[in-house]
Amino acid sequence: MRDGKIETGQHFEEVIKRFEIPLRQYAERITGDREQARDVVQETFIKFQRNGALRRDDQPATWLFTVCRNRALNVCRKERRIMYLDEDLIEARDSEQPMPFDELEQKEATGFLLRIVATLPARQQEVLQLKFQNDLTYQQIADIMKTTANNVGVLLHTALRALRQRYGESARDFIPFKPTTTKRK
Amino acid sequence: MNLNDPKLTAYALDELDEPERSAMSRAVAESAEAQRFVDEIRGLASALKSEFAAEIEKEPPVLSSGSESALELAQPSGRTELSRTLTDIHDDAWFWSIARPLAIAAVLALLAVVSGVAVFSLRRGNVQLAQGELVRLPAISSKPADVEGEFQMPMEVSPPPATTSSSKPPLAAGAPAKAVNGVATKSSSLGYALNKTLAHPVSPEEAFRDIRQRASEFNTTTYDHIGENPFLDAKSNPLSTFSIDVDTASYSNLRRFINTGSLPPKDAVRVEEMINYFTYDYSQPSDGRPFAVHLDVASCPWETSHRLVRIGLKGKEIATDKRGPSNLVFLLDVSGSMMPPERLPLVKQAMRLLVEKLTENDRVAIVVYAGGPGLALPSTTGDHKEQILEALENLQAGGSTNGAEGIQLAYQIAADNFIKGGVNRVILATDGDFNVGVTNQGDLIRLIEEKAKSGVFLSVLGVGTDNLKDSTMQKLADKGNGNYAFLDSLDEARKVLVQQMNGTLVTIAKDVKIQVEFNPARVASYRLIGYEKRMLRKEDFNNDKVDAGEIGAGRTVTALYEVVPVGALSNPAASVPPVDPLKYSSDERSASTPSTSSNAMLTVKLRYKKPDGDKSELVERAVTDAGGNFGNAPVDLKFAAAVAEFGMILRDSEYKGNGTFAAVLEWAQEGKGSDATGYRAGFIELVRKAQALKKG
Repeated sequence: MRDGKIETGQHFEEVIKRFEIPLRQYAERITGDREQARDVVQETFIKFQRNGALRRDDQPATWLFTVCRNRALNVCRKERRIMYLDEDLIEARDSEQPMPFDELEQKEATGFLLRIVATLPARQQEVLQLKFQNDLTYQQIADIMKTTANNVGVLLHTALRALRQRYGESARDFIPFKPTTTKRK
Repeated sequence: MNLNDPKLTAYALDELDEPERSAMSRAVAESAEAQRFVDEIRGLASALKSEFAAEIEKEPPVLSSGSESALELAQPSGRTELSRTLTDIHDDAWFWSIARPLAIAAVLALLAVVSGVAVFSLRRGNVQLAQGELVRLPAISSKPADVEGEFQMPMEVSPPPATTSSSKPPLAAGAPAKAVNGVATKSSSLGYALNKTLAHPVSPEEAFRDIRQRASEFNTTTYDHIGENPFLDAKSNPLSTFSIDVDTASYSNLRRFINTGSLPPKDAVRVEEMINYFTYDYSQPSDGRPFAVHLDVASCPWETSHRLVRIGLKGKEIATDKRGPSNLVFLLDVSGSMMPPERLPLVKQAMRLLVEKLTENDRVAIVVYAGGPGLALPSTTGDHKEQILEALENLQAGGSTNGAEGIQLAYQIAADNFIKGGVNRVILATDGDFNVGVTNQGDLIRLIEEKAKSGVFLSVLGVGTDNLKDSTMQKLADKGNGNYAFLDSLDEARKVLVQQMNGTLVTIAKDVKIQVEFNPARVASYRLIGYEKRMLRKEDFNNDKVDAGEIGAGRTVTALYEVVPVGALSNPAASVPPVDPLKYSSDERSASTPSTSSNAMLTVKLRYKKPDGDKSELVERAVTDAGGNFGNAPVDLKFAAAVAEFGMILRDSEYKGNGTFAAVLEWAQEGKGSDATGYRAGFIELVRKAQALKKG
């Protein structure tokens, strides 16, 4: 059914070119660390090269994001940063969530909306990123996040509603972002 | 309509499959609230996309920076840190061939069975998730245990007991984590019962205008689907409010498509811009107002049981020699992408045409922008033609585009040379490819919006072919008190800058808004054709802070309504588009409201401001349907109807009725009139070409 062999060299480079930065952004949002994100992405590509590239020429996106996600979560676990999971297990207490606001603020080019995105629960951030940075379908996102398309729909809907809400609030007050819930130094 | 339904978001993002998409489309069309929500979601999506894209752009690649490192990567054994044991189960081939479809199907099958949660079908996925198909899947439902185990994230903490999860209120984002607990739990957390968590007060409308306006932009770039104005019930929605639109770009753009042998993408077709490309022979104002209002009613040619209402505005003519002194700043994009002959060279030719028309009372400056902005010509009076033409001649394309800085400089020069009571205008010519500096569309648009307050108007001349940029330019013109034309040829440049020079340069009224009040005693339902991007809320009409379109000297603006008369309801032969009855207000109440004493079909109210004014003035006109046939309608009405129907056919609109290319040709011939400029003949030619293309 599948072509056993494709021109790996060229194809591989194209895949790297196309996915390197999106994957890095994705891994960084999960791990919260640039360097680790780079490592994760490198490992992902190696894995792709070893196991994937030969037989999966058609749709590498889902595969790459899935592997990248697993690696990134692995890193989180090793670092004992279980916050990512914790948060899901506890509650969607998005409104009182401490946010990496100061850190994000230093990234000059970070857009206004992305700063609001950073205050959402991790999984909501994740769907937003997969949907709007990588243009994946509900189904592809569901595959990557190991959930159902319906659930992706719910997550995305919730995330967009929260964004819409906060966007409205901050626009009303003419403050770029309401810092009431942030801890400023 | 329940705004907490995730399906609404899925619809807005074009993730629904038929027939759910159609059902949702109808439901949304019936609810102004839902429409607004969908627009906001699309607007947010568009804004998010551009911010996420910026995040990608600013990152330098590491691995893909050169083929060397990529090759090095291909030899993993060389680097110890990379030879870590790889444990992901996804290495295995079965992951692709079996696990994914199985897992999804199984989970969903269980879902459907266990919890009865409605499963909505999704487009583009590998598995069709229609409920009917799920019934056939029980054979694999013994799999989920394996699959679930394999899919488990490497470091799951132990899941909470099922009892705690069920005692909690429904979680928004918490749901997916419980999925690892097992399929059954997963199903319980999947319901759409999010109302409680989501019942935040809705933020003020004002805050969303900006984001709503991005909605259409999201459509043009990614989605085929521009929501067309639906039929609205005149009882529950007696008011229809919109801003005039004098842009013409969509017509020349689709003409380019057809002339190069392909039908335009649906989203490139904006019907009102097609209609307004043509000048109609409406008489001038005689009452001292800046424009005259003309109203006509005839039968609707593509659905003869309906009525077609035309609203025509005609701006006061200003003779070429009576034009006030002009202070023009050409803001020309000379970036690398402008190099092809149909871009910068065409712009230079177009500007030359305009310069020829200027006199010693006029001033011209040329600002160019590429990597940085530059002043190619300081403000110079129109009698120094050679100097101006030479500066134009010397322009070369090259470099990246910093549009924002160029805009700053151009407006600065326009302000420095401001002529009170004269024409003050920045003419921006670009392919819209702003790729350096403020590249975020929102920021660019805010910048223009700010600059427009200085009293300097904007004309945007688009060149090139990229559809994505079309929306940027339309938006810039919209926000910058301006007009937008697409130059596909030197002829088009001549039309915009020479023949209609005053219409393009001289604004005679700004923030022109139209509000139509339908008489429910005469009108059952109605639909505004086109103007989807120009819709206003009814309360915006009297709010002078709300921006709307400008009208230039001598320009005509035309809007068409398709109206279902009350009589059509009792006529079995008539086609009555579905309009759901009101849910929350009784019919008796609304039935008592219409003023049955009035014969008027509708009243048109217009608000406008003088070009330098802040306060709007009001004009009102009522029209009674005399029952005229399309056959006896004014030629201009026939022609406008032909153009509208051509647009609807190109869009494959659900409202196109019985119209065909052949019918469009017939109406256009009847409506051709004297056609001194030849544009109507050009239209007829274009329809023939489109007809031939359709036949393939």
